Amino acid sequence: MTQRYLILEDGSAYPGKAFGSLATTTGELVANSTMNGYQEIISNQIYHNQIIVFTQTSIGNTGLAQNAYESVLPTAKGVIVREYENLATDHFKRISLDRYLKQHRIPGIYDVDTRQIRRHLQEKGNMKASIVDVADEHAFDQLHATVLTNQQVAQVATPKPYPNPDEGANVIVVDFGLKSGILRELSKRDCNVTVVPWDSTSETILDLDPDGVVLSTGPGAPWNLPESVLSMIQKVQTQVPLFGIGLGHELFALANGAKITELRVEHHGSNHPIREIITNEIFFSGQEQGYAVDSKSINHAKLFITHVDLVNGTVQGLRHRDFPAFSVQFSPDGAPGPKDSVGLFDDFSEFMARRRDSNGENY
Amino acid sequence: MAKTIKKLLLLGGGPTNIGHENELDAAAYERLQAIKKTGAQVIYIDNNPFSFASESVQAADVYVQEVTFQNVVNIIEKEHPDAIMPKIGGLNAMQVAWQLEESDVLADNNIDMLGIRPVDLKRVLDNQRLRELLNEINEPIIASKIVPNDDEAMDFVRDVGFPVIVKPFSASHDTSRFICNNTDELEDALEISFERTYIKHVSIEQSIVGYKEIEMVGVRDENGNKILVSGLEDMDPIGIHSGDSIIFAPTQTLINQEYQALRTATFQIMDAINITGTCHVQFAQSRTDSNYYVTKVSPFFTRNALLAAKATGYPLSYVSTLLEMGVSLTEVKLPQKYSKYLPFMEPTMDHVVVRLPLWPFRDIPDVDQHLNTLMKSVGSTIGVGRTVEEAIMKAMHSSQFSPRDILPSVSKVDDDAVINQLIHPLASRVLILMEALRRGFSIDELSELTKIDRFYFYKMNQLLRAQDYVINNPLSPTAVEAAHEYGFGDGMLAELWNVNISTIERMNQNSNVKVTFKEIEPSAGEFREATNVFYSSYELENESVPCKGKTALIIGRGGNQLGPNAAADYYTAQILETTRRAGYKTIIMNTNPNAISLAPALSDKQYIEPIQLGNILNIVNLEQPDIIFLPGNRHYLSKKLKEFADLNIVVLPPDQKIAKFQQGTATTAVDLFIDGDRILPITTISFHTKSRRTELRYINDYQQPMNRWQTDERPLIKMAISKIDTANWQGLVQVLFDHDGSGNYTFTGIRPIRITESAFLNKTTGVNWIDALVKKYLHVLDIDQLSSFYQPGIHQRYSIMEAVFPFKELQSNRTDGASTQEVGAALSFKKIENPIES
Repeated sequence: MTQRYLILEDGSAYPGKAFGSLATTTGELVANSTMNGYQEIISNQIYHNQIIVFTQTSIGNTGLAQNAYESVLPTAKGVIVREYENLATDHFKRISLDRYLKQHRIPGIYDVDTRQIRRHLQEKGNMKASIVDVADEHAFDQLHATVLTNQQVAQVATPKPYPNPDEGANVIVVDFGLKSGILRELSKRDCNVTVVPWDSTSETILDLDPDGVVLSTGPGAPWNLPESVLSMIQKVQTQVPLFGIGLGHELFALANGAKITELRVEHHGSNHPIREIITNEIFFSGQEQGYAVDSKSINHAKLFITHVDLVNGTVQGLRHRDFPAFSVQFSPDGAPGPKDSVGLFDDFSEFMARRRDSNGENY
Repeated sequence: MAKTIKKLLLLGGGPTNIGHENELDAAAYERLQAIKKTGAQVIYIDNNPFSFASESVQAADVYVQEVTFQNVVNIIEKEHPDAIMPKIGGLNAMQVAWQLEESDVLADNNIDMLGIRPVDLKRVLDNQRLRELLNEINEPIIASKIVPNDDEAMDFVRDVGFPVIVKPFSASHDTSRFICNNTDELEDALEISFERTYIKHVSIEQSIVGYKEIEMVGVRDENGNKILVSGLEDMDPIGIHSGDSIIFAPTQTLINQEYQALRTATFQIMDAINITGTCHVQFAQSRTDSNYYVTKVSPFFTRNALLAAKATGYPLSYVSTLLEMGVSLTEVKLPQKYSKYLPFMEPTMDHVVVRLPLWPFRDIPDVDQHLNTLMKSVGSTIGVGRTVEEAIMKAMHSSQFSPRDILPSVSKVDDDAVINQLIHPLASRVLILMEALRRGFSIDELSELTKIDRFYFYKMNQLLRAQDYVINNPLSPTAVEAAHEYGFGDGMLAELWNVNISTIERMNQNSNVKVTFKEIEPSAGEFREATNVFYSSYELENESVPCKGKTALIIGRGGNQLGPNAAADYYTAQILETTRRAGYKTIIMNTNPNAISLAPALSDKQYIEPIQLGNILNIVNLEQPDIIFLPGNRHYLSKKLKEFADLNIVVLPPDQKIAKFQQGTATTAVDLFIDGDRILPITTISFHTKSRRTELRYINDYQQPMNRWQTDERPLIKMAISKIDTANWQGLVQVLFDHDGSGNYTFTGIRPIRITESAFLNKTTGVNWIDALVKKYLHVLDIDQLSSFYQPGIHQRYSIMEAVFPFKELQSNRTDGASTQEVGAALSFKKIENPIES
């Protein structure tokens, strides 16, 4: 067993045993407390440039299922876990976690006190970390010197448009680092989907004659993207129903004048109750967020808050006052996490149907 | 917001038996803490003499009666409660609640049923209606049909496919079931079944034997808000009762999609039955595709619902109580040590809990010991660890397996017998699985034979490898580290390497990896909760800060087996309470998930750790307790602990080995409390057995006061006192006599009052004698306060405690048993018509 280290920006170091790739990597350290779905988590592009600490004790128990990837080419920078099981083939002919991580050059460390790391992060706030062979001064110097890219969306989103044909509504998905769960939910509703690059203009999008537009999830801070993205949203929302998720939600808020703040500690998990304000009901959903809409910055003439996280108080959903445009911070597709709010995709379909029924007029 | 409830009728769980231990009492105790905060008065009905919860209710409001329809009706007529809470009393209480509704008792007396509306309760309790309900909400259930002839049976099979289960449908007690895998087997089964049914109908259903069994526990409030407390995975497939299965929390082998589908289904069912508070739903999950079936809906507190709470640290009973009373999830206020978000955050775990059942076959060997759809275990232990291996190992060395063998070998069993037991498992299931691995069966073969997921075999293999490493590297530091990583205890290492445990302790001190204690809390490190429940693991960060001030460590009994276990748990709880009142910080160590002594409100700190020497010493080293209580007769442990001269150990009750018998029989006893040279009579007791035997080991029914008390009590007490030498006898002491039937008593022995009878005395005399005993050892007893207690010769009633045996549940023909075969007891009172003073 190769011994390797997770070293943190604040000088702390955690020894453990290597699995997956033996690459040396640096990224932001985030803890994910969801109890299932290690495959969905690792393959989610939102973890581009991030090292994921799992608080669930054991991953790899079920191998990797062909229908549960959230992207084809995962870009996480590392996986830290207490225990991993390299279980491979079964009835489902699944591949093992170790092999998958090696294929994608993602290093892993197990046999680590992940609970201590989680508690440490919670106390100290977000920080960078590296997975290294030796935890010496040189390694810490390298860690401090590493500047993580702010071009994350450009690195993970599709450079070219592609279709996912079906017979139903025409949906354009703007890819900021799309997770497949969104496509799965649209497919279930028979949507004829076209995925377009993140920097598509409103003209390009509207020329495809959409019934609705989805702004996808993705990695990094929304302010790293150029103004042109916001102009696209400002135009599109006046024309067709719009549904923003994750990074898409943050961009929708920015485009409508709200501000975004960075969370002291990123929140990744599905244990926070989210309240839907109109019904006063609570539900749960996968949340993977490093940023949040600043509720004080919201222009109430344009937007109103639809959902709020009852634990940290963050805005979890917004709705435009004038247009059928809405957004949520969390992942209603439930990949991974509860599917309590998957009905939001039905709401979106409903908006599209209404628009079509009224031929685009006053829907 | 909550409706105002002034008077609540709470239905208790009754005597412990197979299927329920003290967990209902523990939940009731937590529930009563919650109700107290609302100011409501509680009327409590229960006849379990080992109930601790009932003692936190005003004595006048406790009805020691069996929870039956008629008894409850009588109490309602007398007490006029506003509401009834049946959810804590198991299935029996739910059925009584339903009868109350059916007969309009609830409506006539304007009583609300809390937790579930009567109309919904009916839909859950009636199997046919439940099937209709689940059909309505599109939740899959196994296909099942009553057929009058072969043709319809064949049609059914053409629809659902093989395998199917065929049973004669009749009012007789024929429990035979036939699993049919093909047409030939089906034809045979139909022929036999039609012969056996009086009404010429046969029940046929789709077989899901071999499916995974998954359990989900959730809570819901009146507004429809829900959280999932935890999922549980049974290692053993459908076909083995979940009470007899090894259970893991969280689930280990479900992918996210499968898990979420079951979570969503649980919520849909909870909405459909409009439940408030807890709900437990069981599923059969296919191994080959993502299909599942709903197999059971329990809208009340079950053993495994409470296991889910224990595993996650979620205060389920407390929260559920308030939800049932109409408080919403977001308004629940918990005791201060918890974060305010806790009631409505979905628990997430960063540890693994393994539950291992314990079976009664050592004490009752002459029954069918195969594990099947009838539950046979009488208790369980849990192991908590940061890895699956560690948790399995800790559960195993908390269990009945000898501490000498790391993983006991069953090498005497031949290969054919191993294969037979893989297919038809016995209680030694887990040992056979490991033995098969040792003998080179492949994991694929084993998974095919047993329908146990391959994952678990990988884990067992790891344990076997670790064991080999430890055996082959005696006294090596790396072997100690490997042992710790996989959950092997220091006591095991000492036994295995044949050295004193202090040798291992010295090695630990030089090791880089030291024992740490981690908190069991439901946020996986996101919040600094103070649940004060800990388990050990060999990692970097220790979270357990030693208690300040005077501290007492109480070493619980571990998993229940037959004998005085339920009583011992009650006894342990009493020690905790008295010690705390005497100004000590109390620390309990236990592994029984159903123990009342592990109720969070009852102690300052809880360690869920194997009751083994090494684990005890780890805790002692950290906490440095001023006093250690060891309830019950545990010779090995008390001997080993007493080797550590600096430990202040109190064994209660004192070891039965000090008992002095003239002969091993008795019919009558005098119970005394002795402090210094003061001897206080407590009461007299007549012993009964159903088979009229007088050997002490068969005595299991007690009556207080004795027969012929009018004439014989005073002289007998005098005689008893004359037998006592206070230099030898202190505390709770019982003097035994044989009665010849005509007023002559022969002295037969003296012994410390045993645990079960101590509990009985508490319930019948109105004085807490266990409390007095503990105070005596803490040197805070005020003997004068007790001295005026007993007045022989004035009795209004007989108190009777009768043993409960699990014979019927185990399908045994026995009717009477020894005290080592008891699973619980029932308490009752009988009025004395003419209490004439002698």
